[in-house]
Amino acid sequence: MATYSLANERLRALEDIEREIGAILQNAGTVILELSKEKTNERLLDRQAAAFTASVQHVEAELSGQIRYLTQVATGQPHEGSSYSSRKDCQMALKRVDYARLKLSDVARTCEQMLEN
Amino acid sequence: MAQQRALPQSKETLLQSYNKRLKDDVKSIMDNFTEIIKTAKIEDETQVSRATQGEQDNYEMHVRAANIVRAGESLMKLVSDLKQFLILNDFPSVNEAIDQRNQQLRALQEECDRKLIALRDEVSIDLYELEEEYYSSSSSPGEASGRPLCEAYWGLDLDTDSADGRSAPVLASPEPSAGPLQAAAPAHSHASGPGPTEHA
Repeated sequence: MATYSLANERLRALEDIEREIGAILQNAGTVILELSKEKTNERLLDRQAAAFTASVQHVEAELSGQIRYLTQVATGQPHEGSSYSSRKDCQMALKRVDYARLKLSDVARTCEQMLEN
Repeated sequence: MAQQRALPQSKETLLQSYNKRLKDDVKSIMDNFTEIIKTAKIEDETQVSRATQGEQDNYEMHVRAANIVRAGESLMKLVSDLKQFLILNDFPSVNEAIDQRNQQLRALQEECDRKLIALRDEVSIDLYELEEEYYSSSSSPGEASGRPLCEAYWGLDLDTDSADGRSAPVLASPEPSAGPLQAAAPAHSHASGPGPTEHA
């Protein structure tokens, strides 16, 4: 498991685990439904039961891994980093561009007025 | 496994509680599912009548199925809590996300500045030509007074602002009270266009 992967990858992994939990309940329901029938399809039953067991074990392993990783990296302190300074610089650059555009439009308007006169 | 750091008590307790919840929920799902399968087996000998046994089995299966669903929902809540904890406390990925954002913003800023510099170079060429045209033109408003182009331009702007809706700017009719433009007033009556009203 990569230690310094992007947050998005870990969050995506957790979302996959959520879908898998839904699949676990679905499989359990299918097995019980199949058992309730008079003539059970044994192959389907075995397949669904195996999928159920494998999913439960997989979910447990994944979540244990995530908790283990968090135990390693969590410090208990709040993160105080921010991208504010570069965001401000970028904002000022966009303001410069706007200002230049405004002044150019003024010059263009003046030239047009001179031509009309 | 890496050496465990000394976490604050609350964080360590929290992570231990997550582990416990995970183990309990998975155990609940597996046990209840196994018991439902066992209960589905039809016994030949029962202590009570078959109908009663059937009712009891039915109720037990309902309860165990509800337990499985409850455990599944508890696991979903656990995943949600883990996501929240991850976003707040996974410092390596938060640092990486901040670095990436900084790089994007810096790249955008550099591109803006690069384009502005290119624009400045192009516009300076055009302005040079405009200035040449202005100073060499015979009908130039600044010709008689020798006004530089920038003063004539700003004078034009002031007059346009004070025109109050007049369509054409009054190039050669400054107000008597306007200091630097005063000397231009008597010499430009021929170029006053639509009729200035501020001549004294």
